[in-house]
Amino acid sequence: MTVPQLDAVDRQLIDILARDARVSNRKIATDLGVTEGTVRGRIKRLQQERLIAFTAITSIAMEDPAKLAFVGIQADIQNVQAIARQIADLPTVNAVIITMGRFTILAVVLFGELEHLHEVTSNQILAIPGVHHIETSIAVKTLKYNPRIVRITDADHILDID
Amino acid sequence: MAADFTLDDVDRSIVVQLRANGRATNQQIADRLGLTGATVSARIRRLEDADKLRVVAVSDFSAHGYNVLIEIAIEVDGRPASDVAADLCALPEVFAAHLVTGRYDIDILVVLRDFDEIQTLLLDRLGRIDGIRSMTPAIAIDVVKYKFDVAPIETRGGA
Repeated sequence: MTVPQLDAVDRQLIDILARDARVSNRKIATDLGVTEGTVRGRIKRLQQERLIAFTAITSIAMEDPAKLAFVGIQADIQNVQAIARQIADLPTVNAVIITMGRFTILAVVLFGELEHLHEVTSNQILAIPGVHHIETSIAVKTLKYNPRIVRITDADHILDID
Repeated sequence: MAADFTLDDVDRSIVVQLRANGRATNQQIADRLGLTGATVSARIRRLEDADKLRVVAVSDFSAHGYNVLIEIAIEVDGRPASDVAADLCALPEVFAAHLVTGRYDIDILVVLRDFDEIQTLLLDRLGRIDGIRSMTPAIAIDVVKYKFDVAPIETRGGA
């Protein structure tokens, strides 16, 4: 895997934008002692290299589905990518990771009521051809998590460059 | 204060615009929604002040040099799971930690620069925490979707 080359300016830029992405290029340029053109160019490069993306994070308390569940899925390895994409298409599934371990796919589901979770896991995911077994574990408490560090996937990339 | 805060359709439509492009100017958002720039600015500020919204840059694990992601399901024995989890949270390699129901007690996501670091993680860090009965790892091979634009929001300190 390639290790991206980030210099001190890139890191400072990421720090500033991680706190508030709506700071103007001019303000960032003044704070970092570089030109606005440099700021604009750096942001564009970091986006193109998929090292950063801009998003709006809303408070979990104000959304209807507010609880998390981890769903371990045993599925056919031959078709695992297609199966993972089908699971990713479900709207309340927030993360889908192909893994090597006790499961072939790990999905994270956001839900409000238990019956909604059951609908997604036992009716929708389990019904996908090639899925053989699921185990659901409900997150009771989040003790550590940093929403600013993510895996930027293809879908995010397209969204940002638009 | 935050409990009786409600979002109306205007707030929601602004959030949709910001999700698509967090760097859009107030005026660009206003033009798209038929509002004024001042309204957009005031609405965003109101949501942010109530800790309901943050418009941020998120960075990829690789931007921080993390090339290995491993989820580990942990069984606890002889100690409260919350205590074991608190010890786990203190480790820099532990990126996320959740107390969970079911067969396992704690679910963590570990981030490493490369696989060589797994020896330090196991022997010097996890191995020194009491109460871990078993660890069942799953190595992330491909992240197909990772969409966490809903999260607990911390109060903005000193801003």
